[in-house]
Amino acid sequence: MLLKKSGTQFNVDVIKSKLSEAIDRCDVMDAAAAVTIDGHLVAKIEARDCPVNRIASMGSSMMSLGDTMTAELKMGVCRNLIVENERGFLVLMHIRDDLILVTISHDKSSLGMLVSSSKICAESIRKAL
Amino acid sequence: MAQLKIVFTGTVGAGKTQAVEALSEIPVLKTDVQATDEVVDLKDSTTIAMDYGEMAISDGETLAVYGTPGQKRFAYMWDILSRNALGIVILVNNSRKDPIEDLCVYVNNFKQHIENTTAVFGVTHLDKAKNPAEEMNKYYTFFEQQGYHYPVFPVDARKRNDVNVLVESLLAMLEVG
Ligand SMILES: Nc1nc2c(ncn2[C@@H]2O[C@H](COP(=O)(O)OP(=O)(O)OP(=O)(O)O)[C@@H](O)[C@H]2O)c(=O)[nH]1
Ligand SMILES: [Mg+2]
Repeated sequence: MLLKKSGTQFNVDVIKSKLSEAIDRCDVMDAAAAVTIDGHLVAKIEARDCPVNRIASMGSSMMSLGDTMTAELKMGVCRNLIVENERGFLVLMHIRDDLILVTISHDKSSLGMLVSSSKICAESIRKAL
Repeated sequence: MAQLKIVFTGTVGAGKTQAVEALSEIPVLKTDVQATDEVVDLKDSTTIAMDYGEMAISDGETLAVYGTPGQKRFAYMWDILSRNALGIVILVNNSRKDPIEDLCVYVNNFKQHIENTTAVFGVTHLDKAKNPAEEMNKYYTFFEQQGYHYPVFPVDARKRNDVNVLVESLLAMLEVG
């Protein structure tokens, strides 16, 4: 299935299977979503009760602020954004210029694993597209 | 000291980012990205978090000027950005299918805020209409029917003077109120 938008097309099935692989491989990843930079959900996998629909557009706002701050400080490219919470983590990173990966873990000691699994996942989607 | 700030909001493509750019005396902090949906038929990029600029007003004070994203899926930003604003500027893109309906979306969403502070309205893209004056009557009549006592001006968001009229009018209302 192709997500048909007048501007951009994404192969949703491919993205979804890569997200699914990431969640299978990484125990602590509870949810993963691919979001366009302008805040449309392209694909998502929710392993546990962890709805990500409303997170999609927020993720794109956050990512763009991260990109904007990074540019303002002339610190190169924004690699990822980490939101550390009382009950878990959220990681955001670019898959490509026009696509963002958002991953969520409720495990408080999982940050390293979540970031590295997310990087691998983003890379695998980038290669597959 | 709390920052003096105003917020530009309104429909996608109405010219919020353009207005902040027209006013700002510092390089505008923008969060525009390439649109991947039907917005591309209108323009290439769209705001997804905020625009931020600054301008000097009387007494050597600095006014912070924010622009919101226009699209509804970013409505959470409308709330965040309008906190503690002195007032709201609502821009309406007159070239859209139902600009009055568009206007209502923002009036309803910012209702509480407008009641607590104040608002001015700017109608943009009027140059595309055959008879701009007649188009403006549509808004005057609607405001009268609804009992809205807020100023509404024809503006071109690309023109600093036009946009400045909105800001001055908003500041004047605050001084009186
Ligand atoms: N012809 C015409 N063009 C205008 C007028 N006002 C603004 N524009 C143009 O319309 C476009 C508005 O774009 P933006 O400023 O990005 O619009 P925005 O309100 O920030 O839109 P979003 O952030 O996507 O919600 C720009 O290309 C402006 O040059 C007007 O009165 N007439
Ligand atoms: Mg904008």
